[in-house]
Amino acid sequence: MIDVNSLCKDYTIKHKGAGLSGALKGLVIKNTDVIHAVKDLSFHIDEGEIVGFIGPNGAGKSTTIKMMSGILTPTSGSVLINGEDIAKHRKEVVKNIGVVFGQRSQLNWDLRLGETFELLKHIYRIDADAYDKTMSVMDDILGIKELLDKPVRQMSLGQRVKGDLVASMLHSPKVLFLDEPTIGLDVSAKYSLRKFIKEINRVRKTTVILTTHDLGDIQELCERLIIINHGVMMEDGNLKEITDRVAPYKTLVVEYYDEIAPHHEKCEIISHEGNVARYRFAKSDITAADIIASLSSEKAIKDVSIEEAGIDDIIKIAYGK
Amino acid sequence: MSRSFDTLRHYLDVTGVNIKMAFMTIIEYPANIAGWMISNPLQFIMGFAIIKFVVETFGEINGWDYGQLAFLYGLSVISHALSMIFFVQGWFMGWYVIEGDFDRYLTRPLGVLYQFFFTNINIFGITDLIPGIIVFIYGCVRSGVRASFLFVIQVLIMLIGATLIRGGIYILIGSTSFHTRSAVDFGQYTQEIMDKTTMYPISMYPESMQFILTYLIPIGWVSFYPVSSLLGIDNGISSGMITAFITLAVGILMMSLAGAYFNSGLKKYESAGN
Amino acid sequence: MKKYLFIIKTQIIKSLTYEFNVYGNIIMQTIIMITSAYFWRALYSGRSTVEGVDADNMLTYVIISSALSVLLITNVERRIGRSVEKGTVACDMMKPVSLFWMFFAEDIGSIVALIFQNMLPILLIGSVMIKLPVMADIKDLPLFIVSVIESFLINWLIAALFGMTAFTAVNINALIQVKKHLIRLLSGSIIPIWFFPESVAKVLSSLPFVYIYQLPLSIYIGRGTRAEHMVQMQIQFIWLVILSALFFLVHNIVTRKVMVQGG
Repeated sequence: MIDVNSLCKDYTIKHKGAGLSGALKGLVIKNTDVIHAVKDLSFHIDEGEIVGFIGPNGAGKSTTIKMMSGILTPTSGSVLINGEDIAKHRKEVVKNIGVVFGQRSQLNWDLRLGETFELLKHIYRIDADAYDKTMSVMDDILGIKELLDKPVRQMSLGQRVKGDLVASMLHSPKVLFLDEPTIGLDVSAKYSLRKFIKEINRVRKTTVILTTHDLGDIQELCERLIIINHGVMMEDGNLKEITDRVAPYKTLVVEYYDEIAPHHEKCEIISHEGNVARYRFAKSDITAADIIASLSSEKAIKDVSIEEAGIDDIIKIAYGK
Repeated sequence: MSRSFDTLRHYLDVTGVNIKMAFMTIIEYPANIAGWMISNPLQFIMGFAIIKFVVETFGEINGWDYGQLAFLYGLSVISHALSMIFFVQGWFMGWYVIEGDFDRYLTRPLGVLYQFFFTNINIFGITDLIPGIIVFIYGCVRSGVRASFLFVIQVLIMLIGATLIRGGIYILIGSTSFHTRSAVDFGQYTQEIMDKTTMYPISMYPESMQFILTYLIPIGWVSFYPVSSLLGIDNGISSGMITAFITLAVGILMMSLAGAYFNSGLKKYESAGN
Repeated sequence: MKKYLFIIKTQIIKSLTYEFNVYGNIIMQTIIMITSAYFWRALYSGRSTVEGVDADNMLTYVIISSALSVLLITNVERRIGRSVEKGTVACDMMKPVSLFWMFFAEDIGSIVALIFQNMLPILLIGSVMIKLPVMADIKDLPLFIVSVIESFLINWLIAALFGMTAFTAVNINALIQVKKHLIRLLSGSIIPIWFFPESVAKVLSSLPFVYIYQLPLSIYIGRGTRAEHMVQMQIQFIWLVILSALFFLVHNIVTRKVMVQGG
């Protein structure tokens, strides 16, 4: 479906000194720097996958998604969608993609939502039947029909995002790109957005590629994660696989009756506050049951619970590299 | 052949929707209409009056009398108005480059330049058109031109060519923003240069400048050459019917060059927020 | 005062960072200046003096007018427009710096930068390519400087007043255009109004626009007597007073309106 081959993107930026003297010097002497925003990225995405791109700000994930959706021209390498190079055959290839940018709406601010849809209907040459069918699917998922006659400038952010999602799906694209779609949304709007992504993926087999900082998005949506930092791929795989590899441990939380907590030779106490102690142990090394048995033989235990290595641990580790 | 015909029909269809939406936007903000109805005609009525004052003070300008100047001015304002309707967005290209506003056009299956101009089609440019037509008709009457069928056809072809030349210049200037990554509105300056070179006969300028305006930056073809041909004034370069077609050819050439330069710039486009 | 000096300094630095704007502006202004010079040369061909001004004077007029236009760039109208449009105006007005003094300081900052980036290069290019723009009578220099300062203030106040129409329903962009055309065509910046018919010129001399460009330029090229200039400067000063009063009046109305309605 999508093939990304040794994708690279360089930016040239101008160096400027600080203050008045720096600004004056900048007029005469020019120092430029080449920034390698994306370095030799290659991966393959199959039809029907939901892939999350994560990485800290400035890691290159937006640059990557913008090259994949035809907005930026790669410095070298290529992005093939259905076997066609998007940089070379932009007008043809983009018929198969939909794009939503959390910060940037494609809706006409001055007019009713329906007008934007009308324009898109003509741009993508969507026939009336297909349009009606898509609209009824969208109405089931998002309740879009009640918004059609509302001027976009009077909509809440959540409603505009709904509008943008539907706008990006009107031509039934095979791939949907979402760049930080949940930014600034409230809980219920996030909920409908995630429901939307899951539904179109299930019903229409749409391949979804999204960048996000939201752990909830990742947990609920992404079967596969691609972690990028400094323009380089750090991890690629499904959530569980990556977890097992980069964070192969669990945490046992034990509550005692007093503030003294015994040690265990195969565990590390990562925190100890009041009556509660947290033991981290390697999954391959020992089971939780054994640890509990061993600890309870030394001291009376009031309560226990087990924490899996969370997504935030993974990200912390991955970003830290 | 049928494929390109089909493409043309598609673009015309989308253009229709864009124009409809432009009108709806105008209706949405009725208060704006009054502003533009005053602003644009005011500019051209004052501009026309000033030419009259100059002629009264200095007499004929390089052999052109007031009626001929009105003819020149009128035709120039009409092509200016047309360029305002279709291509004014070119003046603001720098802002689109910096703010990343080309993103949306790049993800749609139509030409980027087409979308840039036609989703922002400026219906208010009509307010420039009307004073232009009035002055042009006045100029026709004053200089005793008989409006035959052939004359009208020539004028129309010239106007298309002149509008394309203007549009091409706006695009060329605007596209520099891809390389400089700065948003400068050169609209006012461009307009000022255009005023001096399209509303007065360029034969009044030294030969070096005429050469530049004929061959390098072909502003001379926006109004001077077409009008002098129509009025039968010797301009030393071109006369008769052929001028209309040269004007059109120059317009198409400028547009093609501008389009190529724009597309090469688009490859350097960096979107926003990087 | 100190905070406004800081705004001025920040704006100078900001202006200096846009190097392309600088070079682009110089190129465009040079083309306009050279074209204007040729324009007048062509009009004057075969004539020595028209309306008491010869071709040489007119060339000086063109160069100084180009240089002066750099000082008369304002941004206040667009800043107000944007602040109202985005709905941030109420917040902006609550800030510890006065909104309009801040815009004024920003415009001063831009102009200080532009004097070095644009005006001096333009004067230099004009001197080399057209002629040395020598002042007719150097004794008029103080008069010239005072009239330029006043013309800057008048121009800024007109811009600010037009900007404040953003608080009404009318489209500010259209009105900014109206203002631009009025100043461009009626101030003598391109064609001095002494070439207009007497009746028109008389009407225009009672409007503030000619005191923005034409008065300082007339003093510079020495058209008219010193006594005439003194009279015109009095009118210029009266306009400055009227526009200031108008500015503070409208400013108070607008401030009250924003405070009551929240913008």
